[in-house]
Amino acid sequence: MSDKQFAKSCHLFKKIGKRCVQGKKKRHVGIRPLSDTCCCGRLKVCSVQGDRETCARMAHMGVLPGSELELVCPNTGSQCMVKINGSTLSLDHIAATNIMVTASEQG
Amino acid sequence: MENVIHLALAGNPNAGKTTLFNFLTGARQHVGNYPGITVEQKEGCCIHDDFGLSIVDLPGTYSLTAYSAEELVARDYLVNNNPDVVINVVDASNLERNLYLTSQFLELGTPLIIALNMVDVAESRGFVIDAEKLSELIGVPVVPIVARSGKGVNALLDQVVTMVRDKKQTEPILLRYGSDIDQVLTQITPVITEHGLLTSTYPARWVGVKLLENDKQIISIAQEEQPEITQQLLDQCEKVATHLKTTAGVYPESVVADHRYGFIKSILRQNVVTQKFVGDRLYTSDRIDKIVTHRFLGPLIMAAVLFGLYYFTFTFSGSLVGAFESTFAFLSSTANNLLPDGPIKSMVISGIIDGVGGVMGFVPIIMFMFFGIAILEDSGYLARVAFMMDRIFHTFGLHGSSVMPFIVSGGIAGGCAVPGVMATRTLRSPRERLATLLTVPFMNCGAKLPVLTLIIGAFFADHQAVYMFFATLLAWMVALCAAKFLRLTVLRGESTPFVMELPPYRFPTFRGLLIHTWERTWQYMKKAGTVILGISILLWAMMTYPSLPESQVAKFEQQHQEIATSYQKTDGEQSEQAYEMALQELQSQEAMTRLRHSLAGRIGLAMENLTQLAGIDWRTNIALLGGFAAKEVIISTLGTAYSLGEVDPEESTPLKVRLAEDPNWNPVVALAVLVFIMFYAPCFVTVVCIAKESGSWKWAFFSIGFNTTLAFLMAVGIFQLGTMLA
Repeated sequence: MSDKQFAKSCHLFKKIGKRCVQGKKKRHVGIRPLSDTCCCGRLKVCSVQGDRETCARMAHMGVLPGSELELVCPNTGSQCMVKINGSTLSLDHIAATNIMVTASEQG
Repeated sequence: MENVIHLALAGNPNAGKTTLFNFLTGARQHVGNYPGITVEQKEGCCIHDDFGLSIVDLPGTYSLTAYSAEELVARDYLVNNNPDVVINVVDASNLERNLYLTSQFLELGTPLIIALNMVDVAESRGFVIDAEKLSELIGVPVVPIVARSGKGVNALLDQVVTMVRDKKQTEPILLRYGSDIDQVLTQITPVITEHGLLTSTYPARWVGVKLLENDKQIISIAQEEQPEITQQLLDQCEKVATHLKTTAGVYPESVVADHRYGFIKSILRQNVVTQKFVGDRLYTSDRIDKIVTHRFLGPLIMAAVLFGLYYFTFTFSGSLVGAFESTFAFLSSTANNLLPDGPIKSMVISGIIDGVGGVMGFVPIIMFMFFGIAILEDSGYLARVAFMMDRIFHTFGLHGSSVMPFIVSGGIAGGCAVPGVMATRTLRSPRERLATLLTVPFMNCGAKLPVLTLIIGAFFADHQAVYMFFATLLAWMVALCAAKFLRLTVLRGESTPFVMELPPYRFPTFRGLLIHTWERTWQYMKKAGTVILGISILLWAMMTYPSLPESQVAKFEQQHQEIATSYQKTDGEQSEQAYEMALQELQSQEAMTRLRHSLAGRIGLAMENLTQLAGIDWRTNIALLGGFAAKEVIISTLGTAYSLGEVDPEESTPLKVRLAEDPNWNPVVALAVLVFIMFYAPCFVTVVCIAKESGSWKWAFFSIGFNTTLAFLMAVGIFQLGTMLA
């Protein structure tokens, strides 16, 4: 997914009246929490925030800075479903908020 | 046997360890298509090539840095029991993630064989895995298998035997973690070796890595053993952690994990995995998920599936339930004809046949319900239910991982609170874990199911499936509200993030479904034939003794004589009918007096002063007391309490008809009793389990008190309001 698509799809979401944080904060196009991403596609993990144990657990599951994931079910601001390293992970809102992502270069 | 090989099955959750364990040992351990089914180690054995194999199935774990109780079980077993061989069950269709744990086994120097499971699934996705090449690169045997069908399992066992015969030692491999961490490891490993810090159990470098990874258990053991040295090492680790956090914004464990994944990728890129055809980036599972877990469609589909389950259960089990009822009525009448009058006859008919028969009569319903649940579980849909429920659970202060314990406990009716309480081990936060294990007994377990079916069948028979569906919804609502209450009061605290791996959808095998259905139904039947039988006889004795005093017996005898004499003088069919009615009324009065005089009757009557606020009479009190031993006993005790004094077993009526005709029961009372049974104190075994899992009897007693008070208040509210409106 390109940067443009990344921003545009979420902006469209806002237009049809759905909740989408990206739509409200259009200026932060580059990096955003996974929980605010409301369009399916490939994304790159920029950083993982939260306490040490949370970061470690994410790292063991393969959610590491620089790794790529595919957002399967965004569920707009709530829990979401991502594919990473061949497996599907379900993340709740807190976990998804801790993962900062940006558009993937692979598209 | 002399040649015994101790074997452990380890791997990621849902990699197929238990399936392999069942295939090897012939056991029927529960296998489900969602992670976290196995939370404690299971043992079994088999024979191969003159060797006896003692096999342990360990809970699934993603890493050897233990974050939850069930992960600790796996690591502690591997380290403390030193199995001869560890079979690392790896999901071939998801190699990269699964080899992450393998890399940690290699670092630990575990005697390892990799069982490359589900190669058929990998092939269907176009992946061809060169097992020999993989084996050559990581230095341990790799055997492709399909645990479901047993393909390749013999070759795997041959490899185990060869490994033990050759007495091959596995040396820990040395992974590089980047300059910052490697530098610290170079400094601390000699210190660990020099002071022998935990080196009797673990390799020195591994201890160093765990200290860097901030592994709480290893740190705690090390601090107990050598506090000063440990503190020095921790200070060094802290320095590098601060440095990494400041410069790269990550903790050492992330860097370590990154390098492990790098190691795996470097192996896989050496033509270990080739893709025959480029499949879709999203597999069928992902496509299904897009619909099934859709924000709006998902909950609708879930509600339809659950309602369909109840409809299927109650529509198709009806005729079999009737057949079971007729069988027990026949047994009752046969016992009545064959046995001489007296306490033995009373015990056999009222204690055993009515008691156990009442419970066994629900076997068809249980069987159909379990079959439906097995389909949902084996297909992977239950994991999606957990995903969808996660958001709701957070609102009530629980955790996404709490969903599975709730489902296991009977969230879709028919589970059991004991494994449900144990399943809370997957939760890391102590508060969320406690809130979950205190509220899972509110679910409609398999033991409550027949009681609910009985009461609903007696008073709301026209809409049985609908009422059962609402009973399930009510159980969820009350459990979640109770959890919220606990999280706002005694268990206040922040929520922890939830991450769960979702298994792919799989077609359940008919054999697997039958095994699941049978194992659960058999457990239910076995309980009915053992524990329930024992408790039924005990309660029958409590409901029969002490006997009526001689004076009262004589009084009833005299009344019998009087009735007989008065009707002898008159002739005709009408007078005969009147005589029988008068006799029946007298016998009923006598039975009631006997029951009131018995030990159980006295307890029930003493409680009635309070329970009548909820419309619950003294006979139901006896059943509810019995329900504390096991919920199934409620039915058997009601069966006994309402069958004592029945004169003609050939005219024996089913318990639900007896309840429906009883003057003390009506739909409002039934609803109050139903709610009380759903939510009052958990059964004794669950209480013990709560004490064990929470580590304190305080929480076990809290559970009894809290649940009973809540249930009673709800029942009083329903009865009082219902009576007022009626």
